[in-house]
Amino acid sequence: MTDLTSTVVDILSSTMLAMQDAAGTAAPAMQEPAAATTTAAPAGQVRELGGDFWMPPAASTLAPATDFAFHAITWLSYVFFFGITFALIYLTVKFRQRGTEVKYDAGAPVHNTPLEVGWTVIPLLLVIAIFFMGFKGFLDLSTPPKDAYEINVTAAQWSWSFKYPNGATSNDLVVPAGQPVKLVMRSNDVLHSLYIPDFRVKKDVVPGRYSYLWFQADEPTGMVPEDQSADTVVGHYLFCTEYCGKDHSNMNRKVFVLNETEFKEWEETQARWLDEVPDEELYSIAGPKLFLRCSNCHSIDGTAGTGPSWGDQTSGSIAGLGTLWERVTSGVSPIDGGTRDDGGSTLADYIGPGKLYETPEDYLRESIYNPGGLLISGYGPNMPHFRGQLSDRAVDALIGMIKNIDQFDAKGRFIGNAPD
Amino acid sequence: MTTLDATSPNPSNAPAPPVDNYLTFTRGFLSWALTLDHKRIGLMYLVAVLGSFLVGGIFALLVRTELLTPGATIPGVDAEVYNQFFTLHGAIMVFLVIIPSIPAALGNFVLPIMLGAKDVAFPRLNLGSFYLWIIGAVLAVLSLAYGGFDTGWTFYTPYSTTTSTGGVIPVVTGVFILGFSSIFTGLNFVVTIHKLRPPGMTWFRMPLLLWALYATALIQVLATPVLGITLLMLIVERVFQIGLFDPAMGGDPVLFQHFFWFYSHPAVYIMILPAMGIISEIISVHAHRHIFGYRFIAFSSVAIAIFSFLVWGHHMFTSGQSPLMNVVFSLITFSVAIPSAIKVFNWMATLYRGSISINTPMLYGLGFIFLFTIGGLTGLHLGTLNTDIHLHDTYFVVAHFHYVMMGSALIAMIGGLHHWWPKMVGRMYNEKWGIIGFALVFIGFNVTFFTQFMLGSHGMPRRYYNYQPEFQIYHVISTIGSYIMAAGFFWTLYYLVQSLFSGAKAPSNPWGGRSLEWQCTSPPPHDNFKTTPSVGDCYDFSVVKWDEEEGGYVVDRSQVDKQRPDH
Repeated sequence: MTDLTSTVVDILSSTMLAMQDAAGTAAPAMQEPAAATTTAAPAGQVRELGGDFWMPPAASTLAPATDFAFHAITWLSYVFFFGITFALIYLTVKFRQRGTEVKYDAGAPVHNTPLEVGWTVIPLLLVIAIFFMGFKGFLDLSTPPKDAYEINVTAAQWSWSFKYPNGATSNDLVVPAGQPVKLVMRSNDVLHSLYIPDFRVKKDVVPGRYSYLWFQADEPTGMVPEDQSADTVVGHYLFCTEYCGKDHSNMNRKVFVLNETEFKEWEETQARWLDEVPDEELYSIAGPKLFLRCSNCHSIDGTAGTGPSWGDQTSGSIAGLGTLWERVTSGVSPIDGGTRDDGGSTLADYIGPGKLYETPEDYLRESIYNPGGLLISGYGPNMPHFRGQLSDRAVDALIGMIKNIDQFDAKGRFIGNAPD
Repeated sequence: MTTLDATSPNPSNAPAPPVDNYLTFTRGFLSWALTLDHKRIGLMYLVAVLGSFLVGGIFALLVRTELLTPGATIPGVDAEVYNQFFTLHGAIMVFLVIIPSIPAALGNFVLPIMLGAKDVAFPRLNLGSFYLWIIGAVLAVLSLAYGGFDTGWTFYTPYSTTTSTGGVIPVVTGVFILGFSSIFTGLNFVVTIHKLRPPGMTWFRMPLLLWALYATALIQVLATPVLGITLLMLIVERVFQIGLFDPAMGGDPVLFQHFFWFYSHPAVYIMILPAMGIISEIISVHAHRHIFGYRFIAFSSVAIAIFSFLVWGHHMFTSGQSPLMNVVFSLITFSVAIPSAIKVFNWMATLYRGSISINTPMLYGLGFIFLFTIGGLTGLHLGTLNTDIHLHDTYFVVAHFHYVMMGSALIAMIGGLHHWWPKMVGRMYNEKWGIIGFALVFIGFNVTFFTQFMLGSHGMPRRYYNYQPEFQIYHVISTIGSYIMAAGFFWTLYYLVQSLFSGAKAPSNPWGGRSLEWQCTSPPPHDNFKTTPSVGDCYDFSVVKWDEEEGGYVVDRSQVDKQRPDH
């Protein structure tokens, strides 16, 4: 059976290759891993679509098999499509009626068993061959090598978090080149799906269970840019492809492939970076990096988002009440619902000595680790929890950033002077 | 048995004496609102479905316009509003337009006449299902008053049970009720075809549209209840917080997908099977040629209906179901390709040695074959396991299912509308204008959706409000195409409405059709047939002759008995 399978696939393969050669368009994506994404280009530039007419650049070891199947089916489709279209046009023109008088052809055949059996059996054989081509590719896609490097992925509305074996965490997916990588994925809320087009891999991230995905990328993309909020043409796209609500289309990051030494160094630095930031510069250096996880829902420039702005919001129930820190310390933000709401009307009813939260910092910390306790009116319980994802030091950095929000620009970049 | 009084030629030059027809049989609002006449019910469905098509189409244009640029394009349309736009577009087009379009609107009108019956088996149930449709549609509209819904037409959990948009329960209830409308229509058609065939109308003398509607009705009756139960479970989870699908309460979100697609994949065939039936009619009538391979086409309809129940898992290759299931579902999925291919080849063989009238219905028929070929062939990319992993939930899927559901199902519906328009309203539309309308729709459609194949294969995910700038060029072309298509549909609406007032009077048989509906007057009398009609081979066009006096074709009844043996 396996022999038959591989024979059928081989025959089909060689036919398709011959056809592509004949047409002078040997599939570029299959034979030369695209260089477009491997060279660094200046930030801010619109990157090109890359790849060939149909497919994006092929950047994983699994991509060529998928591309081969895609191009084989596409060529088969061309044959059928052009054949059917030409036949339609030819028959319609040749047998068209001229004038009102119908030239009824009483002798025209009404069935022809050999012909009908023929066009039943031939497509059947073709689709069986296609099935086995996809089957072979799928077996590889769903069988991660045993020695794969494991990275934990947490998806939440609307951010990705990647956690490495040494404890490092990252907003972008950074992987070693030339080594199989296995993603162990889970979701904190609704369905998501992790998709890297250049790698031809995709898997749903389902709440309540782990799902896996693996790939191996051989070509390094170049280093992770220092300023991760900037647009860049370096790296491969990573998209969420299962609809997950408002900011579904912004739930995308980049994949960076580093060579072995670069990756080791990055991983080490990434595990330690938060600890190595001097305390006095914690919020100005660490804040912006951590804020990337928050920026899909919380603005700095006062625009209302899925969550309240960290700046002075210009619309809704908290319009004109000051920055987030001012609203919390003065307690003016109106409350409407939440698991710990017991009928108070503003934050002031809950924050202060002897109240639910001793200090404003306690309230902010609880709102990050375990959100939904008190809901600012006009906002629903949409925030995912960050328990186990952010260390105390990371939360300190974020609270520090909230306290000094006027020292940051709209994209979260530090612009103010370091505090005295 | 040659007593077709209704086909007696009118003295057409003299002012025609008032002939009994279903439109003028009785008058007044109540005579329509409480009618049990399948033709009037079909016509009311048609108006309601076309009205929904207009609304769904406007949402489509809003979606396409918003996608002209990455991020915000239309002032005031943010991601939340956009998500509601595409959800409404999908839900309206699937549940209110395509599913009822051919069976409930056109099927209600032509099925009993083609069969030679006076009405469907259960006329009251028929009127009841129309009102269920109305209630379902009203609930869907009402959901907007409760804050709309942004779940996507697929209602995937746990998003749909936790989203803060308040319209989820009204719209899901609406779809639940629409399901019953669909079930009752299907039930009615099954019983009608089994019990009301006149003498001589054997199964293998039935026009192929009736085979297709019969196969469709089986799916409607067997699959739709599953959707009903699934939506009830969704409501139970959302209202009573009983954990069926949400893992936070001990449920399983993938279970919802299984339930949903167990209905919604067969539902794709509720949409496409009757379209294929219409194409069999259009191609043979306008090619004036006996259909080629009658039995293969008839059996392929039934085969598609059976296979349609066994392939739902191909929507879930990336969902986390077991790899073994993926493999099995991929294999069975390819089996559906075969009966579809058989039909395409048979239609093409029907053109061979025909005498083809190139008019609007025929152009829609030929356009269908072209578009369905593209839709079907790209289905191979999606049924194949490793390529689907790459293409799933990208614009490639969007393009594929628009080629099948719109380019095929709706194009066939519009073609059928032109084909039976003279019969339904008794007026001819302007043929030249019809061809212009077809050209706009056909070109616009391909510009809109072919570009989306390239978008998707390059990795552009679906349901995205914001996108990477390098995708923009394809989005712009696609949007331009949608405007061309919209112009075509508005133009079609214009000349069809215009024909009601100033169109030429339609003869009984303007195209040279042989099946029974062309042997009663246009529009048909209230009871369809004064006496039991005679039935012959409905694709034997040798007995159809052009009659100058009638201004249309007539069936030469002296020849009917000498017809060829069945198929």
